[in-house]
Amino acid sequence: MLEQGKISPVQMALLMIPAIIATVLLLVPSITAKHAHHDLWLSPIWACGTGFFVVFLSYKLNKLFPEKTIIEYSEHALGKILGKLVGGIFLFFYFHATGIMVREYGEFVSGAALFHTPMAVIIGTMVLVCSFAVLGGLEVMGRASEIIVPVVILLYILLFILLIKDLEVKNLFPIMEKGIRPSLMGSIVPQSWYSEFILVSFLLPYVTNQKKGFKWGLIAVFIVLFLMVLTNIMALLLFGNLTSSLTYPVMVAARYISIADFLEHLESIVMAIWIAGTFIKITVFYYVLALGTAQWLKLSDYRPIVLPIGFLILLQGLWAARDLQELSHFLATSGAIYILSIQVVLPFILLLCASIRKKLGQRKGNKQNETPVNH
Amino acid sequence: MKWGLVIASLIIAMSMFLYQWPKLKKQQKKEKAAFLSLTFLGLFLSVLLIFFPEMPGPTQMIDWIYKPLGRLIEK
Repeated sequence: MLEQGKISPVQMALLMIPAIIATVLLLVPSITAKHAHHDLWLSPIWACGTGFFVVFLSYKLNKLFPEKTIIEYSEHALGKILGKLVGGIFLFFYFHATGIMVREYGEFVSGAALFHTPMAVIIGTMVLVCSFAVLGGLEVMGRASEIIVPVVILLYILLFILLIKDLEVKNLFPIMEKGIRPSLMGSIVPQSWYSEFILVSFLLPYVTNQKKGFKWGLIAVFIVLFLMVLTNIMALLLFGNLTSSLTYPVMVAARYISIADFLEHLESIVMAIWIAGTFIKITVFYYVLALGTAQWLKLSDYRPIVLPIGFLILLQGLWAARDLQELSHFLATSGAIYILSIQVVLPFILLLCASIRKKLGQRKGNKQNETPVNH
Repeated sequence: MKWGLVIASLIIAMSMFLYQWPKLKKQQKKEKAAFLSLTFLGLFLSVLLIFFPEMPGPTQMIDWIYKPLGRLIEK
């Protein structure tokens, strides 16, 4: 095994929550609002099914192949060549996705605070910090998330509480004015974020108790659902149909807070939430990418390739798109389908193949209760 | 300016090398090969991106592949 460290189920959940919500909080409300209008708070509820399904998939796959990550067992399930190919697709996907993520981070920071700093410096410093966390290993990341994530969630809910007096409940109505269809269409993009829960299949082998890991995975989906609905309701009650025209509704909402002419300019809290959250998010993806590459190449350790991969992530971040508009458009259209097809359809096919192989293997009677043997 | 960026990426690659190389053990041949090839891939890509920043990348490729499906949810 490449990773000697173990994390607790709670730590896994705490790693997964920011791995989903960090980018959802800022970009997704406005993308969802374009389709769902004032039903946008319903969309995450429809979409959460994907999250539960994906956690279930990774738990089932983990039961079939304990102590292995998805890169390793794709070879067992599909055979040597096809398995390598599928592993390669996953790695390319995570490479590409991590690049997009650091770019989202860079665009947000350069758009909201550091206007004149070159993008490469903003992204490069973040990737450097993340690479130290990844070099530290999974246990370090787990403990870092234990410190960061509760603070992030508390600050976020505090923001919502401070906004309560500005909310207009009448923006919520009429619910489902044009039927269920707009909110369902709007749920496709949140679904692609929920599908990132397939990262659980990389972490589960290193969780001390798999069954509890599954339970905490589901709890993580619930917490993400709660925060997403909260964000969308906040954006809707504050801006109404304007939400779709704002790039970062939460950021604008934080600027809105003004209590007794004293508590103002709280957008720095949003910056803090966002940067701490994306730190965990990028670290998780980066770790998965480094670990997966090492397993794909059958190396004895993943640490030697962490830094070169970081360099590649930095370049991919600069390469991902020309500007935020292009990136956001990509994530709202073909990107969503792409993410769903890799993170939901591919693991599902893997599970089907693996269970068929297991059934066939059991019928032949060779190696009972064992994983299917390679050809 | 462009050559300055090339030098900057060379410095990044060199510092990665100086940090990581002494930590690799003698028998870790495969790891050394992976480290070197990924570093050179990064250098190559950075030089390409410095001189051709408008070069279409993975995002454009994926966009091209998934466009027919993506159009269904476009708005």
